[in-house]
Amino acid sequence: MKSEPQRTQRASQRNTETFSSVPSAKSSANSAVKSHARYSLLLIIITGCAIAVVTAQTRRRPRTSKPAPQQQAPRGSAIKYSRFLHSSEKHESLACNACHKIPTAWTAKRDFPDVADFPDHEACVRCHRQQFFTRQSFAGTGPTICTVCHVRAGPREDGRFAFGNPNNAGQTTKPKPEWQFAIDFPHDKHQNVIASMRPFDPAGRKGALAYARASAPSFARAAFRESTIDGKNPDYNNCSICHVTDRTWAVFPLAPGGSDTAKYYVYKGSPRSHGDCFNCHWKALEPVASNCGGCHKLSDKFQPLEQPKRISAKFAHEGGKGEHVMECTTCHINITRASTLRGLTPDVPIAACTTCHKDNKKITYPKITTIEEEFEQYKKTSSCSYCHTSDVGKKKPPASHDAAAQ
Amino acid sequence: MAIRTALVIAAFACCLIAPCFVVHPQTPQTNRGVIRLKVKFKSGDVTKELARKRFFLIKGSLEENKSLIEKIKQTEVTSRECYYRSKGASEALLKWLKQSDCESVYCREIEEKYVTGSEAVPEFKAAYDEGLRDFKSPELARRWLTVNLSSDIRSGFYNQQQRTIDALVAQAESSTKTRMLSVMTDRKGTAYLTDIEPGTYVVSNLVGSETENTRILWACEREVKAADLAVAMKRPLTLSNEKDPKVKCEIVEQPLPVCTR
Repeated sequence: MKSEPQRTQRASQRNTETFSSVPSAKSSANSAVKSHARYSLLLIIITGCAIAVVTAQTRRRPRTSKPAPQQQAPRGSAIKYSRFLHSSEKHESLACNACHKIPTAWTAKRDFPDVADFPDHEACVRCHRQQFFTRQSFAGTGPTICTVCHVRAGPREDGRFAFGNPNNAGQTTKPKPEWQFAIDFPHDKHQNVIASMRPFDPAGRKGALAYARASAPSFARAAFRESTIDGKNPDYNNCSICHVTDRTWAVFPLAPGGSDTAKYYVYKGSPRSHGDCFNCHWKALEPVASNCGGCHKLSDKFQPLEQPKRISAKFAHEGGKGEHVMECTTCHINITRASTLRGLTPDVPIAACTTCHKDNKKITYPKITTIEEEFEQYKKTSSCSYCHTSDVGKKKPPASHDAAAQ
Repeated sequence: MAIRTALVIAAFACCLIAPCFVVHPQTPQTNRGVIRLKVKFKSGDVTKELARKRFFLIKGSLEENKSLIEKIKQTEVTSRECYYRSKGASEALLKWLKQSDCESVYCREIEEKYVTGSEAVPEFKAAYDEGLRDFKSPELARRWLTVNLSSDIRSGFYNQQQRTIDALVAQAESSTKTRMLSVMTDRKGTAYLTDIEPGTYVVSNLVGSETENTRILWACEREVKAADLAVAMKRPLTLSNEKDPKVKCEIVEQPLPVCTR
């Protein structure tokens, strides 16, 4: 052990060596300041290291209150967790009702029991705690995982996107509507048990209009409707219990004032509500409401939502001068054989139209426009405009039209 | 130089002609055929169309499908009335089903009067009451009434018939090595079998269709040629319980059995 005088001497020697290389008194003062700063920096570094070590040791301690690490989803990029994939290995292994409560209880939005909203927070948090609550997740605009359901991320942002099928609830929809599921629906089986009569009031145009208005997409009118044809015998259920007029497919978005609005809303849409299915398939009759996979078939990737191509875009189910009284399958001739939706298009052959729209039917239907008249029109203007919009109407009529006119 | 000019002109001409050969999306395939089916039956003095019955297309002639046709003819089928009586259905339900020739309760709307009104069906009333307890809404309980009906009453008869049909379809597909096509007649007894490969076929309903007082089974032969739908519409295949020398048919018509509980 060194004595106190020796230590003082050594320090003095060091100072002498240092100072000997410095020529002036001003320089000596600067050096003293620098030395002090150096010691301060060293002290800060040592303190910092000590804090880091203590913090790291504290983190290593096991936390019994949190779920085991293997139950947690691995950390990944924020982008990865901004999209929810039903097809991921983990999600696919879960039963539908592990997340979706059937019926939805806490945000019931319908007048019937339904799966009407996103799963509760608990359904996501129980596996994705890391994506919700780590410091990393709060960097930037907040936990990206929130934007799977919420319009914006953040604890006070409770606005959500429309759940599943965009509905009329005024909710925001995702910028690009895409579906992770394809619907499986056998028309043939359903045609067997329901039937094929299109409801129509024989009072004529007024009845057709009233029907068209009643057919506006809504659950209340879609389930059953008055379907007496001759006023004596009750008639069958029909395609219209699910397919109602879809106003988003109107060729003319706004009808002129005082005109027959029915003919401006042309096509029937696909069912938009679980209510169209649940009224029979709620329980007991498979696929029941809790068997989501009975109808929703999982796809490997996001599928764009596509509307069918319309060839006779001016056709109006409820319009047609109020004379379209035929039942659905009289024109949609292939529907009753369709066991799947794959490859199914709502095509109607021209021969179905010419059962009425032909010169020799003028006696029965004096106000009709016939295919022969349209051929004459085409000769003059090079366009068929009664049924078709110009994109199709300006093409040469196909052989099927010639055959139908003969 | 002249050859080069000729080539350019030929290429230009080809470009002009080519669109003529582009097939329009609606143009049917000319090498396929269509059958327009028309089904009617005579009951008393009146001829009626057979609505909402399914018909199947079996590849081959009656002769080629002889054993299958025999099997179809031999197959025992319970009538709607016998089935529902065996399940203890009420008279009111039997009447409701018969009114629109319904094979199941999904056939038509269950109106208020059949639930609580003058023509109340006991089975419907019980299901409605259960629905009212579940849903707390009278309108919803009526609209969703079928969810609370027992399976037998709901669609037991239809399911039983379907099992018989499925077994016959499986046998037919196995013997003809062809997937079977089927269509359902509309209110006017009309149906179309489209996109068929030309050849000889048998059109049959596989199990007898109940009419007013009888059950009629058809197995009729038709040669299909490549033709457009417009042509097929002019030459329908008419099935009837009346003898028609132009149509090669095997028809079995039996009176509906009288059933007691």
